[in-house]
Amino acid sequence: MTAEHATAVEQPKKRVKHEGPKKHIIAYIFSLVLTILAFATVITGEVSVNFVYVMLVLMAGVQVFIQMAFWMHMKDRGHLFPIIGILSGVIIVFTMIIMAVYWAWW
Amino acid sequence: MSGHSHADGVLPHEPEKATLEGRNKVLGFWLFLGGETVLFGTLFSVFIALRDQVNGGPTANELFSLTIVAIATLILLTSSLTSVFAIQAMHRNEPKAMVGWLLVTVLFGLAFLGLEIYEFVEYAHEGHTFAASAFSTSFYTLVGFHGGHVAFGILWISLLIWQVLRRGLTVVTAPKIYIAGLYWHFIDVVWVFIFTVVYLMGKVG
Amino acid sequence: MAHGSHAVKRYTGIMDWLTTVDHKKIGILYLLAGGFFFLIGGLEAVLIRIQLWKPLNDFVSPDTFNQLITMHGTTMIFLAVMPVIFGLMNCIVPLQIGARDVAFPFLNALGFWTFFFGGVLLNVSWFLGGAPDAGWTSYVPLASTTFSDGPGVDYYVLGLQISGIGTLLGGINFLVTIINMRAPGMSFMRMPMFTWASFVTSMLILLAFPALTVGLVALMFDRIFEGNFFDPSAGGNIMLWEHIFWIFGHPEVYILILPAFGIISEVVTTFSRKRLFGYSSMVFATVLIGFLGFMVWAHHMFTSGLGPVANALFSIATMLIAVPTGIKVFNWLFTLWGGSIKFTAPMLFAIGFIPTFVMGGVTGVMLAAAPADYQYHDSYFVVAHFHYTIVGGLVSGLFAGVHYWWPKIFGRKLNETLGKTTFWFFIIGFHMTFLIQHFLGLLGMPRRIFTYLDGLGFNEMNLISTIGAMLMGIGVICFVINVFVTSAKPKHATNDPWEDGRTLEWAIASPAPEYNFAQLPLIRGYDAYWKEKREGNKEMQPAEPLGPIHMPSPSILPFFMSVGLFISGFGFIFHQYVVAGIGLAITLGCMFLRSVIEDHGYHIEPEEIQAKGV
Repeated sequence: MTAEHATAVEQPKKRVKHEGPKKHIIAYIFSLVLTILAFATVITGEVSVNFVYVMLVLMAGVQVFIQMAFWMHMKDRGHLFPIIGILSGVIIVFTMIIMAVYWAWW
Repeated sequence: MSGHSHADGVLPHEPEKATLEGRNKVLGFWLFLGGETVLFGTLFSVFIALRDQVNGGPTANELFSLTIVAIATLILLTSSLTSVFAIQAMHRNEPKAMVGWLLVTVLFGLAFLGLEIYEFVEYAHEGHTFAASAFSTSFYTLVGFHGGHVAFGILWISLLIWQVLRRGLTVVTAPKIYIAGLYWHFIDVVWVFIFTVVYLMGKVG
Repeated sequence: MAHGSHAVKRYTGIMDWLTTVDHKKIGILYLLAGGFFFLIGGLEAVLIRIQLWKPLNDFVSPDTFNQLITMHGTTMIFLAVMPVIFGLMNCIVPLQIGARDVAFPFLNALGFWTFFFGGVLLNVSWFLGGAPDAGWTSYVPLASTTFSDGPGVDYYVLGLQISGIGTLLGGINFLVTIINMRAPGMSFMRMPMFTWASFVTSMLILLAFPALTVGLVALMFDRIFEGNFFDPSAGGNIMLWEHIFWIFGHPEVYILILPAFGIISEVVTTFSRKRLFGYSSMVFATVLIGFLGFMVWAHHMFTSGLGPVANALFSIATMLIAVPTGIKVFNWLFTLWGGSIKFTAPMLFAIGFIPTFVMGGVTGVMLAAAPADYQYHDSYFVVAHFHYTIVGGLVSGLFAGVHYWWPKIFGRKLNETLGKTTFWFFIIGFHMTFLIQHFLGLLGMPRRIFTYLDGLGFNEMNLISTIGAMLMGIGVICFVINVFVTSAKPKHATNDPWEDGRTLEWAIASPAPEYNFAQLPLIRGYDAYWKEKREGNKEMQPAEPLGPIHMPSPSILPFFMSVGLFISGFGFIFHQYVVAGIGLAITLGCMFLRSVIEDHGYHIEPEEIQAKGV
């Protein structure tokens, strides 16, 4: 018995199709467009500050969502606990941001 | 999960999930990223609370140059895509292509880090040093923590490239590469919020 | 025995303990180290009470007193009860879910050693430069270099940072173990309550400790690298530290108490010889407490001027926690109701726990009322409240758990008479010490003062409190004697020494063999072992044939990684950055070695398992 036997490998039942790069390139283009939009909003920015803030956060949120779903495979099956872990973290971060914006200087 | 069964030479589809050890590693790393979310979230909230406290030094609007930030963003975003290609090559069991994409990722990472160091040096010359104000301290801590993560990622992925070259793509090395890929995406995700909250919002005022 | 992978070295003696990756041995190390720090923290408590037994006492100086209260709080929370909780989790959780091992044996060992060296770093401060003296909450500006310019607070910052790494690693390890390593049939809703509590606690650790990491980094940058996070003269904000500390600190108290809830659920069901009343509501309450625990941090800061809206929100959120806690208390009572109760030592602690914890909970709701809190704040009322929850609640729970699982961990049952003596001294001493402190607080005695004047009406109550503390000390000494007396006895505990064990850990030998289960058990319901016993089976049914068992190999790397962090901590405290760099290099070097050395572990073959007698 060689050392490699230490880990048991379970073979897949049937051949699985490998996904192509297409989806990921689309996700890349989406991210790129959102980034350019965000920079453009700030550079051209004639609108109110609060509106720009909301737009920026929304665009960042969408971009992060796309990247996590496709590049980090969170949309795939078997990602329940990763979603729970990240989402709980996000909820707590959300309360902390509220703290920083509203309560830190009171 | 004990058994000795092992089909020699055939690497299964998604080799990172082929063993219990591999699945544990991937899940454990995901949970670690949940903790990292809170870590960066705390740094962000500290920065948000202190970002207007410039103590007579330059404000964010006067300081930041969006050109450098835009280039850095493009570099890191592209490196995230190349690391996806590396994982796809791993799933197709093409170690050479995988190592190639990982190398590209590392090079992009180095470029990003170089740009960030250049940026920090420039800021320091303009009086925006670590101890200048609450704004500068929280800025360097947040962006520096991210830069530190990039530096660690570069070292880590380089080490993994070396291991794959020595031992090949196995059910032991595959989970390591997969979680390094997750780590690299996470760094990019954090950067999305950094360029939004620190730089763009700083420019707006 | 022809297999090459048997060549892995198995150490003996002290090297075995330094290199072990066996969760049961790591659990024992946690219990030993935690017990040691518990004795130190207890000694500090006794010194505090001696200083306060009469007005204008000069037993210790004011500076020493500040160091004592700071180190008492920090030691007890981070270095005593957390490790004992981790010790019990390590020893019991894998057995309860029918797992052969934890998910990350190496990280588990690393978690122990970083905690241990972090704790040692914190405690050597007594001898090298003075202990931290800014309170366990280490509020700025008191903890800033302006008011604490010695190395004391640096010890606090780096010691907690290093031991915090260990805690975080332990939390991730248990989450993955519970999610991925359950035996066939062990669904989430069949898991014993202690495992559920450990799961939720680990989740809280994962989400709360990073906030502490950032807080400590910020304080360290302020103190060592002249940062301005908390320096108002450069635009910093002192409230920020309070927020960050309590965003971590409030979940931390639930990290502490939830495992105690789990222990009480196990002990109460076993010795009532009845199924746990309302299992699913118990699970729900545990998760809900975990969630709400994150949404209430500002109730520690009612008097800091957050404004009526924030105070009202946090007040309501805090009171909400009473609901799931109440569910738990009533479920325990209904489990006891109609049971055929055996008053063993662990059961006495569990029964003592319930009313004591309820009293702590009730004063908690009183403190949650923001307007009233302006009266209670920073008085002995608060001291009494949190000692009721953490000592009367948590420490009683841990004593219950330690007495209950001692035979499973060490193979010997603790002496029942000495156990009961411990209980009576502890519980009477506890209420004597802390019940009266509620009234001291209401009369206006502030906390954290090193002495008080005569004629304020505090004298008699403080004397009574000090006598109570001595009784608690006698109780703890009884326990230590019990440990020594028991360890001299032969190891003859049976698989199920309490005879009414319900969960899986009682189905295997005491202490468990290194592979835990020769064959993974098949779980057919909640209270898996009890179910088999009801159906006349003496053992669990196996879910797999007897085969070779894969084991991880021992490693010294976790020890040296932690030594590296310890050295680096010293470097930062004394501003010797070369030393700090060397320490970090040792740690990174060990991480490098861990990554490149492929370690496949070894197998225990069926012949060896049978030779030991399955």
